[in-house]
Amino acid sequence: MSSVTENRLAAADSTTGDLVSLGVIGVATLTFLASWLLLLQWVDETATVAGLSVLKLLGVGLAVIGGGLVVIGVGSRFDYIDTTPSSSAGAPVGVVFGVLWAILGGLAATLLLENAVVLWLPVAVVFGVVGFLASVLPGEDVGSTLPVAAILILLGVVVAIGGVNAGWTWSPDWSSASFPGSELVPILVVFGTLLGAWSAGKAKEGFGAEGRQAGAYYLIGSVVFAMLGVLGLLIGFIVTNGLQTTLTGASLLGGRQTIPFVGLQVAWPEFPFLLNQTGGLYVEIPGVLPALVGTLWLVVGAVSFAVPLGIGAAVFLTEYAERGRFTQVVEVATNGLWSTPSIVFGLFGLAFLVPRISGGNSIVVGQLVLGFMLLPLVLITSREAILAVPDARRDASAALGVTKWQTIRSVVLPAAMPGTITGVILGVGRIAGETAPLLLVFGGSPYPSTTPNVLGGFRFSAQPPFVTNEALLSPASALPYQLYSTITAGVFPKEIFTNTEFGWGTALVLLLVVVGLYAIGVGSRLYFRRKLHNE
Amino acid sequence: MTQRLPQTREVPRRLRAAVRRRVERTKQRARDYRSRTEDGAIAMDGLVFASVIVTFLSFLAGSRWTVIPVVVFLASMGVGWYRYQAEAAKITTLLTTVITVSILTLIVAFLVIESVPAVRLMGLDLLTQIRNPTMDDPALGQGLWGRNDVWSLTPMMLGTAVTTLIATLIAAPIGIAGAVFVSEIAPRRVREVVKPGIELMAGIPSITYGFIGLTIVNQYFYLEFGTPTIGTYFAAGLMIGIMALPTVVTVAEDALNAVPESIKSGALAIGSTRWQTTKSVTIPAGLSGVSAGVLLGIGRAMGETMAATVMLTHTKGFPSPVFDVFSNYGETLTTVIAFEGGNASGVHMSALFAAGVVLFVMVMLLSVASQYVEWRMYQKLGGEQ
Repeated sequence: MSSVTENRLAAADSTTGDLVSLGVIGVATLTFLASWLLLLQWVDETATVAGLSVLKLLGVGLAVIGGGLVVIGVGSRFDYIDTTPSSSAGAPVGVVFGVLWAILGGLAATLLLENAVVLWLPVAVVFGVVGFLASVLPGEDVGSTLPVAAILILLGVVVAIGGVNAGWTWSPDWSSASFPGSELVPILVVFGTLLGAWSAGKAKEGFGAEGRQAGAYYLIGSVVFAMLGVLGLLIGFIVTNGLQTTLTGASLLGGRQTIPFVGLQVAWPEFPFLLNQTGGLYVEIPGVLPALVGTLWLVVGAVSFAVPLGIGAAVFLTEYAERGRFTQVVEVATNGLWSTPSIVFGLFGLAFLVPRISGGNSIVVGQLVLGFMLLPLVLITSREAILAVPDARRDASAALGVTKWQTIRSVVLPAAMPGTITGVILGVGRIAGETAPLLLVFGGSPYPSTTPNVLGGFRFSAQPPFVTNEALLSPASALPYQLYSTITAGVFPKEIFTNTEFGWGTALVLLLVVVGLYAIGVGSRLYFRRKLHNE
Repeated sequence: MTQRLPQTREVPRRLRAAVRRRVERTKQRARDYRSRTEDGAIAMDGLVFASVIVTFLSFLAGSRWTVIPVVVFLASMGVGWYRYQAEAAKITTLLTTVITVSILTLIVAFLVIESVPAVRLMGLDLLTQIRNPTMDDPALGQGLWGRNDVWSLTPMMLGTAVTTLIATLIAAPIGIAGAVFVSEIAPRRVREVVKPGIELMAGIPSITYGFIGLTIVNQYFYLEFGTPTIGTYFAAGLMIGIMALPTVVTVAEDALNAVPESIKSGALAIGSTRWQTTKSVTIPAGLSGVSAGVLLGIGRAMGETMAATVMLTHTKGFPSPVFDVFSNYGETLTTVIAFEGGNASGVHMSALFAAGVVLFVMVMLLSVASQYVEWRMYQKLGGEQ
């Protein structure tokens, strides 16, 4: 029994090797996180830990990783550590290491000799070739550890002995910026630790095919971790910065609401940032109500324009049209619309709609332009949803003698509804945060003191066009537009918030609206998909 | 050459035959339609189409009487829906399809029409001029936007190229790594969290990214790296790259998922590790889809407006050397439209439309290329099922 479990294909158990590589991975992870702390300026670069400045500590970390890798590489070469390396680390690894070595050699040459191509280019080439050969020629265990270790130890020692410290700057001629050691070191350390962790990860699984898998997974895993970290940071920044502004004066039961007809006053939630006008004389705490209502009207208009069009076109393409030249043209046009930059839609609205409808910025043009942007998404998603309806249902309906249109209306469309609704919600999330076209065709006063009164704005007349709506034909404000004008306009009219504070508050409300829509869309898609699979 | 000649001579004859066939088919279709459709429905179709065309034409002319054909359309549609519902539904869906296609056509037409004055004034110099010839001392990249009626898009084109390149260098490798992680490596539970998270990232409005870029990233580079201005190509490109990431991840992940399970299982069955399967089987098989994702991401990065508008300095010119991404210059095709479009007129406005045309053509090329690449992949993979 034991022989079955012990008989691993890749490597015999090797406690020493495992321990060393685990240690290296641990140090690499710590150093990686520490350098991010420095880069994000959560830790000051002059801070000291146990008498050593943090930068030097990072250098020590790098050197330790390098040393550990040397131990593993040499130990494996002389069979102190059991591994199953391939005969070579492979050309891709060689190329990467060659490039790294070339950069290192080139930099060293510019620093030590002089900044002239004649001088640093040969040195860089020689270093690159040496790096390439050193990683390709020996076995995989040496080739994928020692070249990395050399770079890491060199870098680590230079940093640790203070050759590069916080005050040191590198200002190359080709750049208007200069790179201080306080930032350059953490950046280099981030990449160095990634390399080290990759190498140690390979070693932990004993090199060979499994080792390469482990190394690649470490690398990809940390990249994805960093990516999700960025996402979390972005949202975190907005929430922490915007929360205070948004909650100014808010209370759960502080407000008073008079019940109509009875005249009784009851406690009521109070939320001035959401429910107050932005401008105006008597507004104590300025809010985003006009922008919120503006966004609402934009979305309502865009949806009522784009959804019927998109679903109609999807029905025609899937149910009526024969696949051919025409459907291909429609497909290319749809994808083209989908990838057209939003600012181009704005230009189009400015040239085509503005002079013909309102003669200036207006809500209705904004609605139409956003509708154009929403249209391709509605079309694509509802088309997919209709295609996903099994043909068996259509056939069953047809076999009952039901006409084609009745089949579509009572069998196909209801079945395709969930997918379509999901697509519409996701699309609405996209256009609710869209700003660029609004700058050209929609935006009015940055700090309005009234909400657009669309419902009460309809007027009838004996003159053509017989029905007009003053509110729809005049400019307004929307959440993303409000944020843009807060960023660019400069002076906020009230003293209670600074420009930036009001901006963060608006950003938080916008984020809540958009992300809320997205969450509903993604959630409903998951729900419907799961339901479909369970059937 | 000699072999080709008879073929060329045959072309007119073949063309004529093709046209005749097409006419024949159309006639047949018209006859079918006539015999299958009731007279009233035909009248409705005609009325609907005529009223839509009249509506469009009178709207185009800016007439106040546009409301009349609209009412005619609604009336004929209403009566038609009541009497011949199936036919009315069909014609409605056809109409919506035609409208969808014509929106793109209209966009192209109006962009081109509006950019004519600038093109007439500048000719091809609009895209190539890098020195202003009317200045006494024509310095490289100075006075190219509006001085002495010289309008040249070159600084903005360079800006777009630089920011797009930086964004691509960030979004492509990280995005592909993310796609591989989500589709090949992550256990199911992790995937169910990570994938919606990445989609959520796509939903964050670009102006929010811009605000963060302005208040945090720009300040960081200004304070720590001593950039000459608050706002550089590098900072903007970095932010745009982060914004383009979700697009790359989502499309590339779809492509990797579309690789048939049987191919992967085959590789695993002959003893490859999972990474070997991913590297040598899944990624090569899904490569077209992955590159389609990257192309789409580049298109998004190129068309990205708000973050760049808020973050860049709007100074037009060429950095020297060209790859100095920390210089004080900062203007792209999108930002110039967004920043100046609100209060431009005359040739200035027309030049902005020309910028829009350049942008549109570039993005459209990328979109068509990615569609072609994707189509080829499904051809290739579909052949085995």
